Amino acid sequence: MSSSSTKFSAVTGSARKIKDNAADWHNLMVKWDKLNTDGFQFATNIVNMRNSQKHHQPLEDFPSASASQTFPSAVQQQAAAAAELQEECSKLQAVVDQMVVIVTKMEHLTTIQRGVQDLEEFQFGPEGRTLPLCHSWRTKDFEESSQVLLAAFSQELKLKQVILQKLAHTTASDLHMVYLSCWLHQPFVPAQTRLALEALLLETGHRLL
Amino acid sequence: MSLQGALRKSFAALQNHRAVWRSVLEECDPLMESLGNLGEQMQALSRVRVSDTPLGVFPDLQERLQFQLLQAVDVLLHRLWDRMSRLQAIRDSIGNQVSTVLQLYQDAADALGLAAATERSSVVPSLADMLGWLQDAERFYRRQFLQRKTLLQTLRLDDLAQVEGASKSWKSLESPDSEQQITDNLCRLSFFMESQ
Repeated sequence: MSSSSTKFSAVTGSARKIKDNAADWHNLMVKWDKLNTDGFQFATNIVNMRNSQKHHQPLEDFPSASASQTFPSAVQQQAAAAAELQEECSKLQAVVDQMVVIVTKMEHLTTIQRGVQDLEEFQFGPEGRTLPLCHSWRTKDFEESSQVLLAAFSQELKLKQVILQKLAHTTASDLHMVYLSCWLHQPFVPAQTRLALEALLLETGHRLL
Repeated sequence: MSLQGALRKSFAALQNHRAVWRSVLEECDPLMESLGNLGEQMQALSRVRVSDTPLGVFPDLQERLQFQLLQAVDVLLHRLWDRMSRLQAIRDSIGNQVSTVLQLYQDAADALGLAAATERSSVVPSLADMLGWLQDAERFYRRQFLQRKTLLQTLRLDDLAQVEGASKSWKSLESPDSEQQITDNLCRLSFFMESQ
C-alpha cells in the first residue's frame, strides 16, 4: 500500500493514529481472509469424512482372530477414521481461535478510534474540529466505520463458532452444504462491508484517489 | 488481391481465430463449474429451514446467505458475458473474412468459369471445396455462439436445478466431430498455404 503525500500529514498525533489504524484494519482483514480460506479446506474435509463414515460398513460383531492379524478390522478402521476427523476438527478449532484474536484486535482498534473521537470532542467541542484531518471525513466517521466493521466481523465469528461446534455432528448433506456455504460466503461480511474498509483506506491516504 | 491470396489469408486468419476461441472457451469452463456449484449451494439452502437448525440463532441468516449466493452468481455471469463478447467478436471476424472472400469469388466467377472453380489436383483442393470449407467453418462458429448465448440467456435463477446443471449443459454444446472436420480440412490445405 502506498501512502499518498496529500494533506494527511503525520504531524498531529490524532492523524497519525487514524492512519495507522486504517493500515491495521487492512492487515487484519487480509489475515482473516487467509484464515477463512484455510478453514474452508478443513471444513470441507470434515464434511467429506462424515460422508464416507455414513457409507461405512456396519461393525462386524465377531471379527475372526486370524483376519484381524492381516487386515485392519472394522473397529480399527473406524478408530483411524475417528482420529482423522478429530484432527481436522482441531485444525478448524485453531483457525477459529486465531479469528477470535483478530476480532479482539479489531475491538482494540475501535477503542483507539473512540479515544481519538473523545479527545477531539474535548478539544473542539461536540462538533469536532473544523478542518478534517484527512480528505473529507469527520473524525466521527472513522469511529462509525470502525463500529460497522467490528460488528460485522464479531457476528461472522459467532457464526463460525456455531459451524465449528456443529459441523462434525451432523450427517444431513443439505445442512452440511449450508454450513460450508456460510463459512465460505460470510453472510455477515458482505461486499458493502469491504467497501467500508476501502473508503477508510482512501480517506487515510493508503489508497491513492 | 487475387482470389487465391484472399483464400490463404482467410484460412490463416481462421487458424488464429480457432486458437483464440478455444482459449476463451477454456476460460469459461471453471466459471461454468462454479456456477453449477453455486446452484448446488442454493438448492441445499432452499431445502433447509435454517430456523430449525443450530443456525437458527441468527434470525436473518437465510436471507443474508441467499443474497451472498445471488451476488456470487451475478459476478460469475458478468465474467461469462465478458467472455461471450469476445466469442462474438471472433464470430464476427470469421464472418467478415468469409463474406469478403465469397464476394471476391462472385466478382470473378463468370470470368473463372465452373471448370476452373471445380478443378482440383492431388495437393491443392478446388476453389469450390475451399469456399465450401470456409462457409462450413463460419456456420459452425455462428451456431456455437448462438447456442452458448442462448444457454446463458435462458438461465433462470429461480430454476435451481437448471443452474446446477448449467456446467453439464455447457459441456454438451461441444461438437468435437465438427471441430475435427474443420481441422481435417485445414490439413488438406497445407500445400496450398505454403505455395504462392
